[in-house]
Amino acid sequence: MYVLITGAAGGLGRAFANECAKRGYDLYLTDISGPGLERIGHGITRRYGVRVLTRQCDLTRDDDVAGLFDDAAENGVKFGMLLNVAGVDFEGGFRERRADELLKIVRLNVEATLRMTHKVLNYRAEGPFYLVFVSSLASFYPMPLKATYAASKSFLREFACALGEELRPLGVRVLTLCPGGLPTNDDAISGITAQGFWGDVTTNSLEKVTRRTISRVLKGYSIYIPGLVNWLFRLAGALVPRPLLARLLYARWSGAQKEWLTV
Amino acid sequence: MKTVVVTGATSGIGFEVCAALLKSGCRVIGLGRSAENARAAEEKLRGCVPAGDITFFHGDLMLPSEVRALAVKIKEELEKTSGGRLHALVNNAGCVRNWYMTTPEGYEHQLALNHLAGFLLTHELLPNLLEGGRVVMTSSGSHRMMRMHWQDVMYERRYRPLMAYKQSKLCNMLFAYGLNDRYAGLGLRAYGVDPGLVRTEIGSKNTGGLVGFVWARRKKHGVDPSVPAEIYARLIGAETAPDGLCHDIRGPRAASRQVGRRNAERLFELSEKLCGIKFGGIESCMS
Repeated sequence: MYVLITGAAGGLGRAFANECAKRGYDLYLTDISGPGLERIGHGITRRYGVRVLTRQCDLTRDDDVAGLFDDAAENGVKFGMLLNVAGVDFEGGFRERRADELLKIVRLNVEATLRMTHKVLNYRAEGPFYLVFVSSLASFYPMPLKATYAASKSFLREFACALGEELRPLGVRVLTLCPGGLPTNDDAISGITAQGFWGDVTTNSLEKVTRRTISRVLKGYSIYIPGLVNWLFRLAGALVPRPLLARLLYARWSGAQKEWLTV
Repeated sequence: MKTVVVTGATSGIGFEVCAALLKSGCRVIGLGRSAENARAAEEKLRGCVPAGDITFFHGDLMLPSEVRALAVKIKEELEKTSGGRLHALVNNAGCVRNWYMTTPEGYEHQLALNHLAGFLLTHELLPNLLEGGRVVMTSSGSHRMMRMHWQDVMYERRYRPLMAYKQSKLCNMLFAYGLNDRYAGLGLRAYGVDPGLVRTEIGSKNTGGLVGFVWARRKKHGVDPSVPAEIYARLIGAETAPDGLCHDIRGPRAASRQVGRRNAERLFELSEKLCGIKFGGIESCMS
């Protein structure tokens, strides 16, 4: 089975690539960074005996994505799973970010994910097909200072839930992953550190999240919120009125960001 | 004049090793991750040892491409100054992580930096080191009470940060053992140093979580990094290469019983595969 992973050169993408290779799946990796793809491709090939194909691709471009699927077809690749990992966020409030950065969040997190998902269904292998969307714990809340990002992730979660029902008769299983903080790179670590205690307890470990995500989508789960603390947060979020929630979160994030800048 | 390369030279043990070597009259090439830190360390060392001959290069040793690029720069420098001869390489750069994090190759950080980076750099500089060169690894006493976690060397099933750290330090010893095993006939000598508990920032650089918290408290009990620097100066400065694999401040110590040919060979093989390289046999080095 070939697994298609977007954003495969990033921290979460690499962890998913390792996890899938360990399970013996062949990989088709894509990312905006060509050198990054080459590196993770080498790493996987040296460690596991699976086939690894890589293709540099800007998922926000129609022709790039079309080229990717042409390439897959030429290589005789049919997919059994798509992991929509690629996503972006720009730190800072609405007024501190340029409009094109904010639009980029929507174009990649939402538009590009839809494009890939729509297209991949035409390139399915025989048998069941598995779809994973990487949303976020933030998708459950109105998140001041991360408003665009959180909204883009709620779009994915709501969309995935509905799509899962719609595609069930086709044998497609859909899972949404809603992680808290993930220690993917040095920036993520300093972000987690800046949040202090709550940063630590809401952080999920990459190796567990990736392993369980794959296990759960195979079993037919539709949502995965890793970590007990995150589950409780999600529950609390559902009970508190949303305007109040926004106010509380604003107080927390503005404090954490101030500290972050001085780290 | 003897030339020595030291990785992780901008702070902690590496910095003090540079200072000690400069004082003893060695020419030192220091490596650091960021240009800024490398420049600062170079200036500070010039201040400490005005007559010292110090050069700094910078690059991220987590990236094999940068290790190779640094090796090329070092070789050029060696050609200019010492006819290509390198007296010693100190593989000192290291990190501590609280979470499972990976390099661009998808390798776990502590294994990748603490062991693989030094493995690859040694491979690249091996021709310059043969015939009397020395390789010194910053290992740790914590390599004792530890076994290689062969079934999952990157701790991907369940990340245990301290185990991954200790294993990487056991790797340092095994690599030193393996180098001696293979190249002692060509005059190469390798050592693993147990510096003891030292007051450095190793656990405070992007470590995070509980491990970072604990280190911030634990390091206060450590000795000044200039103390273990003496061990390196001794190993590198001695006219004839000292005996013994594992050295601490008191002299040679017994390494863990895990440090033997079988594990060393297995680690060599695995590391070669992960780096995509092949250490030549003695025959290929002679020709």
